[in-house]
Amino acid sequence: MSAFAVRGLVKRYGGVSALSGCSLEIDASGIYGLIGPNGAGKTTLFDVVTGITQPDAGSVTIDGREVTGVAPHRLARLGLARTFQECRVFPEFTCLDNLMFAPRVAGNARGAHVEAMRLLELVNLARFADEPAATLSFGQRRLLELLGVFMLRPRILMLDEPAAGVNPALLEVLSAFIQRMYRERPCLFLVVEHNMEFIISLATEIVVMHEGRVLERGSPEAIQSNPRVMEAYLG
Amino acid sequence: MLKLAAVTGLTLALFAVPSMAADQPYLIHVLVLCCLYAIPAVGLNLMLGYTGLVSLGHMGFAGIGAYTAAVLMVDAGLGFWGALAAGLIAAAVAGAAIGAVCLRFRSHFFMIVTLAFGLMLYAVMNNWDGITRGAAGFPGIPRPGPLGPLSFGSLQDFYYLALSAALFAFLVQWRVVRSDFGRILMALRQDERLAQARGVNAMLYKTGVFALGSALAGLGGVLHVAFLRVAAPATFSFAESINIVLVVIVGGAGALAGPALGAVVYVGLPEYLRVASEWRLVLFGVLLVLLMRFAPRGMAGLLADGWQRLLRRSP
Amino acid sequence: MLTALLEQTVNGLMAGSVYVLVALGMVLIYGVMHVLNFAHGALFMLGGYLCHFFFTRVTGSYPVSVVLSMIALAAIGIALERGVFRPLQGNLRNQVIASLGLILALENLVIALWGPNALQLRVPATETLVPIGELRFALQHILVIAVTFAVVLALFLFLKLSRLGTAIRAASQDRQAAMVVGIPVERVDWTTFALGTALAALGGALVGPLFLVFPQMGDAPLVKGLAGILLGGMGSVPGAVVGGLIIGVAESLSTLVLPTDYRDSVAFVVMILILLVRPHGLFGVRVRGED
Repeated sequence: MSAFAVRGLVKRYGGVSALSGCSLEIDASGIYGLIGPNGAGKTTLFDVVTGITQPDAGSVTIDGREVTGVAPHRLARLGLARTFQECRVFPEFTCLDNLMFAPRVAGNARGAHVEAMRLLELVNLARFADEPAATLSFGQRRLLELLGVFMLRPRILMLDEPAAGVNPALLEVLSAFIQRMYRERPCLFLVVEHNMEFIISLATEIVVMHEGRVLERGSPEAIQSNPRVMEAYLG
Repeated sequence: MLKLAAVTGLTLALFAVPSMAADQPYLIHVLVLCCLYAIPAVGLNLMLGYTGLVSLGHMGFAGIGAYTAAVLMVDAGLGFWGALAAGLIAAAVAGAAIGAVCLRFRSHFFMIVTLAFGLMLYAVMNNWDGITRGAAGFPGIPRPGPLGPLSFGSLQDFYYLALSAALFAFLVQWRVVRSDFGRILMALRQDERLAQARGVNAMLYKTGVFALGSALAGLGGVLHVAFLRVAAPATFSFAESINIVLVVIVGGAGALAGPALGAVVYVGLPEYLRVASEWRLVLFGVLLVLLMRFAPRGMAGLLADGWQRLLRRSP
Repeated sequence: MLTALLEQTVNGLMAGSVYVLVALGMVLIYGVMHVLNFAHGALFMLGGYLCHFFFTRVTGSYPVSVVLSMIALAAIGIALERGVFRPLQGNLRNQVIASLGLILALENLVIALWGPNALQLRVPATETLVPIGELRFALQHILVIAVTFAVVLALFLFLKLSRLGTAIRAASQDRQAAMVVGIPVERVDWTTFALGTALAALGGALVGPLFLVFPQMGDAPLVKGLAGILLGGMGSVPGAVVGGLIIGVAESLSTLVLPTDYRDSVAFVVMILILLVRPHGLFGVRVRGED
């Protein structure tokens, strides 16, 4: 029984097959980088797993439990949290309220306040605790978003292109922070990313997608020197 | 602390009006109308201002409450208080049911469907002569009967009732806004997808606030027809649904005081200015357009900004 | 039975033609600017009033009055686009609320200026009876259908063949791409608005001689026009034509089986059914990820 598994996922849009029998099983915790050329199906896989889209065939399971097509809010309750490529926070809520939101929804806000302040201090955002999130810079909002999902204490954390739009100077900070989050709560991180440098240094294992399926998986070093991967990107 | 004192002071002043202005029944009449508009406006404020649901058929639910109560009072002989409760419940149930249908749609489509339902409810009120007495209206609605030692036959006494109901509505609004439920509504307005990703069952909460908003509309509707002594479809038409949106927006959507400010401006100001009623509405239409362009947060927003500027000036 | 059917079909085509004119205006504006102008019914009504004004005060010629009212409304449309809708672009909620304000202002403006009672727009020439089978229809019935048909044809040709028409089609398919290619989207915006409001004015002017001119005359056409657009598919011009006609004919035919009081509800029911069963309408395209 794997912690996380997708089996035979198929998804077609019109005449195009975004996913054509995609299968992936993950048993151990780790930071899994999901890469692949454009059109490989990474975003679609993401959308299917997070309940945004229904697959035409196949299944998604968490700890052996079938979660295909379950609504996003129920997935959150089951321990699956996600961030968004375009970086979503509640702009009118204060940073603190942003972090307190998920615990309040789940009904266990007790003790969350302390945890929220601790996390804000960790990334040097404590001084913005009572400021609306809209006043933060983009990079700061990325960090806030990550803190927000962390407050959910997820078992599976799906990050959708966390490096997108972030100032190159801040990428190291971001990478270091994600690694720190992982060390604090080792669970299953699934990170879709286009920025090679970023994901290679961050991930413990890389999964390469191509033409709607998983092509290869292995350590970052192994993947980097894998000729099939090179071909997929260039061919 | 200051706010609490101000609100208490205002409440006491409002209750004191009839004794202080006993020779000005017109003023009391205007204040009653303000209350009658403020109550459904609170309901719409929760839906539109806090949750972002732009309903264009809100007064249809006021009509459901009103006609339910009217039929029960006149045809079934039920007392006012029972009919009021029934009207409230009918409006809430209708809100939940119709809301559940409307909420399956987003943005434009949601607005169109609420508009359509509002028009359908109006058509029923206007045409189902057997029950609603049709376009001519449903006459003979009695003033509320006594509740214990309190009677509500006179204008002054009805004013106390209307004022109490309005205060109740604002109290409900305040409690909701400060609760986790209210926070979730505000989150849904800002970013529904994000809220869902964080565990919020959006449909459930939106239907809930739709039902609550409709219940408040129903409360306003029952009181309105009890005041006028007649229930007419025109009170619950598309035009009135637009007017109630106006009240919420002009007062300030998403602000606690919004519905009160909007109702006072909508009802009170023209009486004060003594403008012919058509020109008043033309001005309001123009005002609405101007506000959208220059002051989208309405009067509450302007007052808040003014207050901030004042605070910054003082040492 | 057959005569009743024929009678209601012709009535339906006439009503449907009016709905088509309203729907076309709204769908063009929606396609290009992505704003649903709820005030379109009020503009339709204003067209009727201005036609009445021109006919009774300026020129005794009905056709000229119709054209004048179209020009006047086109100018008003441009002013609205520039002053109200363009500045609010991107903010759907505020645009809709602004259009509600317009409804309020326009409906009450005509009441303030012309009084609350309906006005008669009597054009004797249009009252001559035209025989179809055993039935007789006022000429205006036929004129409404014929003029709408001609206008729709002209519009299609314009959109297909002219530069501006192609620009409008491009901008409604993909505004960003149109900008990149060098299409002057701002000019497309106000032109489309002018076109849309002129069509609404035409509708109001055509309806005047048949059914009085009164402040609320735009309310039902607004809703029927919306129903027509939804049925045809949001953003589809042919859809608006088909949708509007279907609503008109369905409505009229329904009076053969339902009490006439509930005639208006046919459009609402169609609207809600379409949204539940096939939200993108008959010809609409499903937009992925439209939140």
